[in-house]
Amino acid sequence: MADQGGSNHGIARTSRTRTEEQRQKDLERIKDYRALEDEVRHHAAKNDYSPDVFALTSKLLRLNPEYYTVWNVRRRCLISGLLSKLSPGSSPSKALPTSSPTATTTISSADFSSSLSTETPPAPEFQTTGKSGTTAEEEDEEQTRQQDQQNDQQILQKELHFTIPLLLESPKCYWIWSYRLWILKQVIERLPVPVARNIWEEELGLTSKMLLRDQRNFHAWGYRRHVVEQLESPELEGKSLVESEFEFTTKKISQNLSNFSAWHSRSKLIPRLLDERNANDEARKAFFEEELNKIGEAINVGPDDQSLWYYHQFLMLNLVNSVEHPTIAPAFTQEERVTYLRREIESIQELLEDYDDAKLIYEALFDYTLYLCQLQGREPNEQEEKDLKGWLGNLKKLDPMRSGRWADLERDFGLKE
Amino acid sequence: MAMGSIGDTLWDVVICGTGLQQSLLALSLSRSGKNILHIDPNDYYGGAEAAFSLQEAESWVDRLATEDKGLFRSASITKPDVVGLSFPRAYSLALAPQLIHARSELLSQLVSSRAYRQVEFLAVGSFYIFKAPIGPEQQPSLVRIPSTREDVFSTTAISAKAKRGLMKFLRFVLDYDSPEQRDAWKPFADKPLVDFLQEHFKMDTELKTYIITLTLSLDGRINTEDGLFVVHRHLTSMGHFGPGFAALYPKWGGISEIAQVACRAGAVGGAVYMLGAGIKSMDTATDEIELELTSGDKVKTKLLVRGDESVGDEPSISRLVAVVDSPLKILFESTVDGAPTPCVAVVALPPGSLTTPGEANTDPVYVFAHSSGTGECPNGQSVLYLSTMATSNSKEILSRSLESLLFAVDRDQVPQCLYQLYYEQAAGVKQSRHDGLILDLPGPSLSLLMDDASLNHVREAWKKVVGDAVDDAEYMVFTAREPVDDDYDE
Repeated sequence: MADQGGSNHGIARTSRTRTEEQRQKDLERIKDYRALEDEVRHHAAKNDYSPDVFALTSKLLRLNPEYYTVWNVRRRCLISGLLSKLSPGSSPSKALPTSSPTATTTISSADFSSSLSTETPPAPEFQTTGKSGTTAEEEDEEQTRQQDQQNDQQILQKELHFTIPLLLESPKCYWIWSYRLWILKQVIERLPVPVARNIWEEELGLTSKMLLRDQRNFHAWGYRRHVVEQLESPELEGKSLVESEFEFTTKKISQNLSNFSAWHSRSKLIPRLLDERNANDEARKAFFEEELNKIGEAINVGPDDQSLWYYHQFLMLNLVNSVEHPTIAPAFTQEERVTYLRREIESIQELLEDYDDAKLIYEALFDYTLYLCQLQGREPNEQEEKDLKGWLGNLKKLDPMRSGRWADLERDFGLKE
Repeated sequence: MAMGSIGDTLWDVVICGTGLQQSLLALSLSRSGKNILHIDPNDYYGGAEAAFSLQEAESWVDRLATEDKGLFRSASITKPDVVGLSFPRAYSLALAPQLIHARSELLSQLVSSRAYRQVEFLAVGSFYIFKAPIGPEQQPSLVRIPSTREDVFSTTAISAKAKRGLMKFLRFVLDYDSPEQRDAWKPFADKPLVDFLQEHFKMDTELKTYIITLTLSLDGRINTEDGLFVVHRHLTSMGHFGPGFAALYPKWGGISEIAQVACRAGAVGGAVYMLGAGIKSMDTATDEIELELTSGDKVKTKLLVRGDESVGDEPSISRLVAVVDSPLKILFESTVDGAPTPCVAVVALPPGSLTTPGEANTDPVYVFAHSSGTGECPNGQSVLYLSTMATSNSKEILSRSLESLLFAVDRDQVPQCLYQLYYEQAAGVKQSRHDGLILDLPGPSLSLLMDDASLNHVREAWKKVVGDAVDDAEYMVFTAREPVDDDYDE
């Protein structure tokens, strides 16, 4: 029943013609759905967020995961009763709530459980906190807290499970992803760090699986970046994942060269990658050369692929615009930059031997020739002007729909015949 | 229906033989309500596409020794003096180890007829070219054939320029049916594909070998029209049922499994099955035939469908089936994330590539390597099916090809051969023949790839049985028998 909004990457949405029998069945289904919806709204209007209502939201969301309001009702059900009450500012890694407002000892729950099992509860006059002694009251509190955490963990994991079949069916539904994120945020707030970390690492695994099913699901890529960010954060005692994330983009590219998101992600990771490697000038230059070779190999087999040319341009801009773009290898000399640019222009021209109708090649040659002039602070020479006019001519023929653009370029660079 | 009463019915059809075509016919008629008697003189299903236990292979070879006509000849079994061969029923050696492209018509028909659910399909993985060593110190190697853009990107075996050439060809083939491309290849339609590749693409020998290998052309001379069709189907089949593979292979003996499933469907539909019963003699009247079966029964039928077993005009092939004592793991590595582990791999030995002393092979040799995942041999072993054009020295060529391949797989611990079955198979007749009350389906195909064209003969036969009242669109289209059957009924 739920409609998959948006592009489905070439998978046609089927339009169905119905028999009278099917139409009757559909009418039945619509009636049931409306009844369910009315019931949920009725309870929500009365601020009734009991477990019964929670069960109703399960039924309704399975039929229509895009019903944003119902996800909210579900959240409220969890907060108002199913999940434990969170006292403000409390978290497993922070100080325990004690009668003394100045208590600042940070004790991990692990310490406490061991102390609980060996020590007998001390006499009530010991009101201090800390490893040396606990009050009976605080001990009870700790036990409840642990039970709460276990209960919360179960509920939160069940919620994650609940969304999985919905995600499989509607992998691009914003509301499901946002609900998952909300649950995962609860995980950080309510559960001990090792447990929370585990759950978040599983989440990373989930995004890998989603990206295997549809490599260009940009929701999954953005989501993955968010998950990685959390895993790297202090809340989850994280460390940098930049190397493995870079490797992940390499893998995705080898599975599908056209993966724009993978190339894009890669470009975003490079500055931090090189920083964390403490890459010196030589290492940076070598890295640049390697990336250039890699994209060259890709363009060699995929000259029509826009994502590849974007990445190539990203590398070229690293040479040309050292001010605006963070450069991979800032230590390149002017001479080296010019050499690279010339070399690229030459090898791209070689591609024309076999791919003389790939318009992106002509665009690249046009752009890079101008980059070269820009780099050397000069105007195009006679031969270059001839080339530019020629390539523009090819573009006009191959892409007549953009004639306005080609005319603009002609005018801007004084290339009118 | 009790056995004794088969003589009482006037059968609508008697089908003789349970080879693939006859079995598919039985499947196609399984909802027709026709009275069908399906017999086979052998005591096993599958006919020329059967899969044998070692015992059955031995009986088959013995039987062939006494017959001198027929499509199969010169069969022999060799059991080297090596320990490791398991008990006879642990093996299921396929007489017709054909690959089925994901986009083949056969699969669509198995799906629409609901028969596919009873077959377990395995992925066919990489295609390799055997490369003879260059110098005395070099090792022979296996080079994977790139058939996707990503493969071409990743491979280090081809130059940048050659990669562009290959990409241009792949682009051309994917679009080969458009008017523009047709103009380019039509003049070469009946000429060998290799000539077209040379003329139009200036392809070097290596790339030509890649392309021809994808067609699995036994003489290497497949014509341009047929060749482009097959390469196109290979490329468009890639990823069709999942990442990383373009072709499938049925578990438990390949095509024989499909024949059995089809017959089972026939039986569920009411057809009567008799193995070990052939036709002893026949008496044709105006609108019915009386058959005397080797079982002694006399039956009457309106139509008799057989498989033509006469020898056709085209060249024969030689085949060697070898069981080896190694899982040959390197051949079955999955190269793509999320892809199923392949159970079949293809290795081609191009003309002139044999390494061992002796004459060069003038025709390609194709090897289908089957892991134990196919169910055709026990764990830890593999079955190799080698095929080439039958010539005066083809038996020796196959033997040396086996040696060369095993050496290329593992030079230090060369896998040992535990069992060998050799035979030659003649080409059958290519056309159906309908003579009044008798319809002869064409002979079995020698192709290493499931051929869509052969399915047309089954369709024609079906039409003859059901008549004009039934719409052609209903061919092999059935609804599920069980109420809770398919997940995707649209």
